[in-house]
Amino acid sequence: MMLKNKTALITGSNRGIGFSLLKRFASEGCNIYAHSRKPNIEFEKKTKEISAKNNIEIQHIHFDLRQSSEIRNGIMAIIKTKAPIDILVNSAGIIHGGLFQMTTVQTIKDVFSVNFFGMLEVTQLVSKYMIRKKKGSIINIASVAGIDLSAGNCAYGTSKAAVIAFSKTLSSELSAHGIRVNVIAPSLTDTEMAHTIEAKKEKTILSDNKEPFKRMARPEEIANSVCFLASEKSSFINGEVIRVDGGNKF
Amino acid sequence: MENIQIYKEIFMESFEIKENILADLKYQGVERWDSVGHMVLIAALEEKFDIMIDMDDIIDFSSFEKGKTILAKYKVII
Repeated sequence: MMLKNKTALITGSNRGIGFSLLKRFASEGCNIYAHSRKPNIEFEKKTKEISAKNNIEIQHIHFDLRQSSEIRNGIMAIIKTKAPIDILVNSAGIIHGGLFQMTTVQTIKDVFSVNFFGMLEVTQLVSKYMIRKKKGSIINIASVAGIDLSAGNCAYGTSKAAVIAFSKTLSSELSAHGIRVNVIAPSLTDTEMAHTIEAKKEKTILSDNKEPFKRMARPEEIANSVCFLASEKSSFINGEVIRVDGGNKF
Repeated sequence: MENIQIYKEIFMESFEIKENILADLKYQGVERWDSVGHMVLIAALEEKFDIMIDMDDIIDFSSFEKGKTILAKYKVII
């Protein structure tokens, strides 16, 4: 098992890629702090089953990434237990699509508040805790939208570009403390988010059934890459951005 | 062990320095108290005194003496 006896904090773990990560990490022997914005009975029921099946612990933690005080209280609650956080996966995010001249600046700020600034605050607190242990792996889930930056990406794509840039600089700063920081940049992935109107253009590009890679990524394919970066199998990979996109460009 | 001795030992271990230079020690006053060393110091203080120092205070923590004032905010009396 690639993550046996490790402990991971996964943000946005209640759905989409985050939930897929939770399942995969659990199957690899990892104990998990499962973050979601609010409590959810259905999610808690699923995690009880996953925990029992894999003989690992899953503890729920709730905070709104737009609220600094909630983030601080949430992370402090973990730190007070003195349990290590070996792995941080910043998976929580919101989507937006639209041309710049049809997007308010407030909307852009709202997207950044979750996708970038909320992620920053979580990472600042957790990485400070990881420094005590002199080890850790941080994986930030960005997007190919943050690299290809086609039209319609003034909010989501640029927020993910910021995640990528921040991750690279952070990897340089934290390497002195034995902490690696890497990025996974998925293309459109078959989750709830993919079936929103914002993803319509990408879905059209990927709807050619004649080619094996002209399709959406499966959440477990993203989870495979994240699991690799979380594990010791990637022990000398740091500051990298890995596209998981089947070779498709948008 | 008294807090002052714990505090001194954290500085001495973090920066590999002797006790006799602590009183006047300031940030970047010795080779190892650079930004990387600063995070090592903060991590050690947080771990030992079981506190979480705010970012503003981390930035303000500019000397051995100033650190005592800052830790007092977290009810750690040196």
